[in-house]
Amino acid sequence: MRAAVTDEQMSSEHPSPAATDLRDTIARALEVRDLRKTVAVGFRRRKVEILRGVDLEVREGDVFGLLGPNGAGKTTTLKVVLGLMRPTSGSVTLGVDGLGELGYLPENPYFYDYLTGAEFLQFCARLFSLDGEERGRRVAAILAEVGLERAAGVQLRKYSKGMLQRIGIAQALINEPRFVLLDEPMTGLDPIGRVEVKEIIQRLHERGTTVLFNSHILADVAAVCTRIAIMREGRVLWQGTVDDALASSPGADLERFFMQVVGS
Amino acid sequence: MRRVAAVAVNTFRETIRDRILGVIILFALAMIVASLWLASISLGQEGRMIKDFGLVAISLFGLIVAAFVAASLVRKEVDKRTVFIIFSKPVSRSEFIWGKFLGLAATMFVVLMGMTAFLFALAWIVAHGPQGSLLVAGLLIYLQLLVVMAMTMLFSTLTSAILASVWGICVYAAGQLSHNVLSLSRLGHSGVTHVMSRVVFYVVPNLSAIDVRGAVVGEGAMSHTSILAWSGYLVAYLVVALFAATWIFARKEF
Repeated sequence: MRAAVTDEQMSSEHPSPAATDLRDTIARALEVRDLRKTVAVGFRRRKVEILRGVDLEVREGDVFGLLGPNGAGKTTTLKVVLGLMRPTSGSVTLGVDGLGELGYLPENPYFYDYLTGAEFLQFCARLFSLDGEERGRRVAAILAEVGLERAAGVQLRKYSKGMLQRIGIAQALINEPRFVLLDEPMTGLDPIGRVEVKEIIQRLHERGTTVLFNSHILADVAAVCTRIAIMREGRVLWQGTVDDALASSPGADLERFFMQVVGS
Repeated sequence: MRRVAAVAVNTFRETIRDRILGVIILFALAMIVASLWLASISLGQEGRMIKDFGLVAISLFGLIVAAFVAASLVRKEVDKRTVFIIFSKPVSRSEFIWGKFLGLAATMFVVLMGMTAFLFALAWIVAHGPQGSLLVAGLLIYLQLLVVMAMTMLFSTLTSAILASVWGICVYAAGQLSHNVLSLSRLGHSGVTHVMSRVVFYVVPNLSAIDVRGAVVGEGAMSHTSILAWSGYLVAYLVVALFAATWIFARKEF
């Protein structure tokens, strides 16, 4: 069944002038305006518009969930934010001072098979030009944070999927970033792994770190996010607080709200 | 510079621990040992046979490492999305390319010098004395393979790993023949052939210019000045190839 989104539901996307004034006083970790990305695909280089004017605003301290069906443009949006892809047009403004204050976990990450967990994190810390003592301190702390101290000396090819996801999160946090982007951090994890990742996100939130993550698992989003945006076909259809989304949905069900917004 | 060193150390660790590398080295050492048998059936030429056959084995297996590992070095990181992790950190594309190259160059140094030392010891036993020229030959083979590595990395920024490997091997083969192409063109009278030969001679790295295998086994000699000059040319060639790889890689989106 296809349901239309009401004006009230859309209100978070189109705030009143007073709300705009208030919004201007809130520090933003990320502001994306009319972001467009066109790529050429296939032998004939057919143009495909992946992003069709994305507007997004992530406030400092948010745990922001970027939702949408496959092909909605969530990962492409993150790649443009990180500079892995260049935008065709539009603007991306980060509230942090460059990549040194960012952390990123890609979807289904691959790491170096023949490095141990500790060596890999040491390598990541070196990329931030941290000195030896500081590197050692951070690697030990982050291994404890993700619960991998005992596997620190084991080569990554011997890690389970859940352990790889945790080492992926560890590398994203090695520079103690102010803003963390996680692309499908819970995909492929068992229930215990999902709980562990949610706990890590909660701890980051408590420390004031801004978190932006993509996910298909709406129950996880409802559990940890403060604000969400719903994308489809390269556009943001709705963004606002999780509470607003639940209040707009019959039975306070995020899944129903999501289906309402994207259409069934 | 610290980030280049970090990428290089990481690449060295990753490649030196790869089991495939161990297998290749074992085959190379087996082939060098097999030269003992060839030496036993070549009357009065034992030392020469071991040196000649051993250097061919080192070149051949070194080429396999240079072409196949260099091709997968950058390509694998793109295909398996490790570059997402690297480039979401403050690392430039040029730091990545140079770090990867230097890391593999260090691995190649360990591998080639290990094989050369093994051949040196074997030749010492058979020829009843140290053969210092073998060490120089090993170093010059290393330089040739560095050029092949740089070219293969350049190709891998443009095409698939397997095609980049094939092109890398072609560069090695053409580089061994480029002197001959120029000599042959002088025999004919066609202007087109002459110009084409010149183009091939200048575009393809002249690897044969520092091939001292003949001198090692006592067939002719090469002057030190000539070896140094051509070595300088090959170093310049690989630097240009790496800058080209960086330029192409910097324009890529992931």
